[in-house]
Amino acid sequence: MPRAPFPELSSSVRLKYVKLGYQYLVNNFVAFLLIPVMIAVSLVLVRRGPDEIMALWHSLQLDLTQVLFSVFLFVFVAAVYFVSRPRPVYLVDYACFKPPTTCRVPFATFMEHAWLINWDEKSVQFQTRILERSGLGEETCLPPANHYIPPIPTMEASRAEAQLVIFSAIDDLLKKTGLRPKNIDILVVNCSLFSPTPSLSAMIINKYELRSNIRSFNLSGMGCSAGLISIDLARDLLQVHPSSNALVISTEIITPNLYTGNQRSMLLPNCLFRMGAAAILLSNRRRDARRAKYRLLHLVRTHKGADDRAYRCVYQEEDAEGHTGISLSKDLMVIAGKALKSNITTIGPLVLPMSEQLLFFLTLVGRKLINHKWKPYIPDFKMAFEHFCIHAGGRAVIDELQNNLQLTAEHVEASRMTLHRFGNTSSSSLWYELSYIESKGRMRRGHRVWQIGFGSGFKCNSAVWKCLRTVETLVDGPWTDCINRYPVDIPDVVKL
Amino acid sequence: MDLLWTISTTLLLCSLLSILWKEFDRRRNRSCYLLDFVCYKPSDDRKLSSELCSDIIVRNKRLSVPDYKFLLKVVVNSGISEETYGPRSIIEGREECPTHDDCVDEVDDCMYRTLDELFLRTGISPIDVDVLVVNVSMFAPSPSLTSRIVNRYRMREDVKNFSLVGMGCSASPIAIDLVNNIFETRKRTLAVVVTSESIAPNWYCGTDKSMMLGNCLFRSGGCSFMLTNDPSLKHRAKMNLKCLVRAHIGANDDAYGCAIQKEDDEGRVGFHLSKSLPKAAVRAFAENLQRLAPKVLPMGELALYVLRGFRHRLWRSKEAKTDAATAARVNFKSGVDHFCLHTGGAAVIDAVGRALGLTNYDMEPARMTLHRWGNTSASSLWYVLGYMEAKKRLRRKDRVLMLSFGAGFKCNSCLWEVLRDLNDGGAWDDCIRAYPPQTLDNPFIEKFGWVKEA
Repeated sequence: MPRAPFPELSSSVRLKYVKLGYQYLVNNFVAFLLIPVMIAVSLVLVRRGPDEIMALWHSLQLDLTQVLFSVFLFVFVAAVYFVSRPRPVYLVDYACFKPPTTCRVPFATFMEHAWLINWDEKSVQFQTRILERSGLGEETCLPPANHYIPPIPTMEASRAEAQLVIFSAIDDLLKKTGLRPKNIDILVVNCSLFSPTPSLSAMIINKYELRSNIRSFNLSGMGCSAGLISIDLARDLLQVHPSSNALVISTEIITPNLYTGNQRSMLLPNCLFRMGAAAILLSNRRRDARRAKYRLLHLVRTHKGADDRAYRCVYQEEDAEGHTGISLSKDLMVIAGKALKSNITTIGPLVLPMSEQLLFFLTLVGRKLINHKWKPYIPDFKMAFEHFCIHAGGRAVIDELQNNLQLTAEHVEASRMTLHRFGNTSSSSLWYELSYIESKGRMRRGHRVWQIGFGSGFKCNSAVWKCLRTVETLVDGPWTDCINRYPVDIPDVVKL
Repeated sequence: MDLLWTISTTLLLCSLLSILWKEFDRRRNRSCYLLDFVCYKPSDDRKLSSELCSDIIVRNKRLSVPDYKFLLKVVVNSGISEETYGPRSIIEGREECPTHDDCVDEVDDCMYRTLDELFLRTGISPIDVDVLVVNVSMFAPSPSLTSRIVNRYRMREDVKNFSLVGMGCSASPIAIDLVNNIFETRKRTLAVVVTSESIAPNWYCGTDKSMMLGNCLFRSGGCSFMLTNDPSLKHRAKMNLKCLVRAHIGANDDAYGCAIQKEDDEGRVGFHLSKSLPKAAVRAFAENLQRLAPKVLPMGELALYVLRGFRHRLWRSKEAKTDAATAARVNFKSGVDHFCLHTGGAAVIDAVGRALGLTNYDMEPARMTLHRWGNTSASSLWYVLGYMEAKKRLRRKDRVLMLSFGAGFKCNSCLWEVLRDLNDGGAWDDCIRAYPPQTLDNPFIEKFGWVKEA
């Protein structure tokens, strides 16, 4: 995979300190400006002496009513300002589905099943090679129907999987938040590859007896980045409806989607996709601000579908023998990189500190006016975020993004460990990664998280959250029983 | 301190003005104008005559003679004409094993033809579209149908696209609800909605009677329409959305299971329509009307309704009063001029018409749509609207109510106000003069007359 060359501006230690000083100066520019002003004012006051200051105060002859009126006016204007701001969107809590150990698919099981279902040696060897380099561990899970030989991809089995993963996640969430189902105002469900009628949202309304005036939406076919699309929709709805909450469910149902053919580009999803689900509770109620974990700062969606290559890089089609599967093109990494760049162009100005933006702008100007051979400046996103949740689409995706954004191993640890423990759970993977960071006790109040999802289309969606309260390490979640074993060292190639 | 006084008063006035302006702006953003809509007219080689339907039914060797009779009876008595359309794969004999391409082509043809015409008629370029919503209930390929449209029309990177799936025959108001909510958060936004249904991958090839009804009634159709909240486009808009009500009674198990896609006893997937469907429909309908009535009816009618309610409670009338019957007592025609009813079937139209106290004139657009186009699922409301427009019934300030039912079980409704006299022929252009026909009876009743005796 070709790696794009990126500049090393701070190659020497001296330059690094210069850069640090520059960042400090630019980011706190207003404070620096105010310091001389404050010094000047205090010097004047000190020179005048306390008696003179009191005389000055009395000479103003302020009337009580006028003072009260001014105070009232100030409070009134402040109130108008606060009320007219857009409603904040809080993430009260979320829960991820923890698959039962009976659903585990160790490598040996996977290879044996692949052989017994397929009987094609080349396909099995190909899948073995993929699995060796995939970064998946031995504890990833497939739904019960896929454990049968041959698998039973019926609608009934698919619904059973959906009920298992979704209801478990929702039950966990209701327990954590104490939310009563009748109080849910908005429901958004996304599941890309299984879309029965009535929808999965109707299934949830039926099971939990939700209200008849609920605003429910069911999104499907939108790929692995659909989780953030659902959050976007929930956010828009929460802007419009005061004092409401929204339940967002992100999942992918594996049962009906096992590819039984031999085309290599379509065998990849079999190796990577595993079952998972996440249930997220969002709210715009001010009283939830006290107990909410995160606040949504920004959400940016980028759709590269206008470009044919990007559009076709993750494509569902039939192979020569009539088996339907999703083919992944060889250009996937390049396209992901381009989509990310487009997304960064929009989100950069919203999140980067002034110092980075200024450097980027100056380099851009320099390239255009002075010398076009200057290398483009890649802003340092580590200054804008403490944590990164990169969609665990596969090892190559995480490698590519780590390289593009110049992240350290610790920054991408959550993504790699999620891929190892749970596999590619599609749209819910971002939530497993967030849970990992919390379980490791790394999430502190004020920390900012950047979630990046990629999906068919080709889309790149990203969301920025700010942590509102330090999360205790004993987090009840999918990592509870295994967090102490992580991080593990994942070799480049596991010999099978 | 006159200066202080003046400054204070000015600031106070400015704050008050800013609050008023924000409120006015918010209400302005609340508008949802329908710029135009285009209904899908498939090519004539896809017409499904009763004879062709009969051939297709007979191809299923698993059916027995009583099954054939049952199906033919349904087809002949459905109120559907010889002019409705089906997917190519079914007409060409591949109904039991459609390829992925068959399914994609069926939806592509509908989406692209209607969108091409929509962009042409409105003169708006696809690059200006901010929001794109597609709802096709029973087919969701990857990449999504919205991505297919973004690719074909080279839309912008920041287009907000949503692919609603599995939401049944009443998904049109749901898509409008989604767009309307986005409109309230952004100014000068343009949205395109495509609504259709996919029949090719959902043909039922088993022997369960409850699942065979879908085969007989569903037909190809679709609609693309453009919405905006930009006040500068108001002069070009056809209608303005006044209110929208969604009611979901999925909490009730019978309602949830009365229209559900599942496998039959032999493992074949089909769309099961149970006998409890009418009951669920009535309940969802009542639930919807309860919330719709106060938004739609004039004060006088509402007052009368409340008074009747008091009278009933005080004097404990012995008449059986179900919610639907109460609805019949409410004269919806006092607040609504035209009714777009979902063309679920002749029985559905009749039942809803009776409940709302509608005349044959009011129900004519829905009946004629069922006759000419069949049950096109979520897009049927738009064909009904197209009929009204082609018949030049829609005049400025008229109010149009769209009402539909869907699996789940849902009943969704929305009320539009017509902004100017409308007279486009649309998809009805070539046949509107023949409507209403002398008779809605199937011309093949003579040939298949024996089914009436069964």
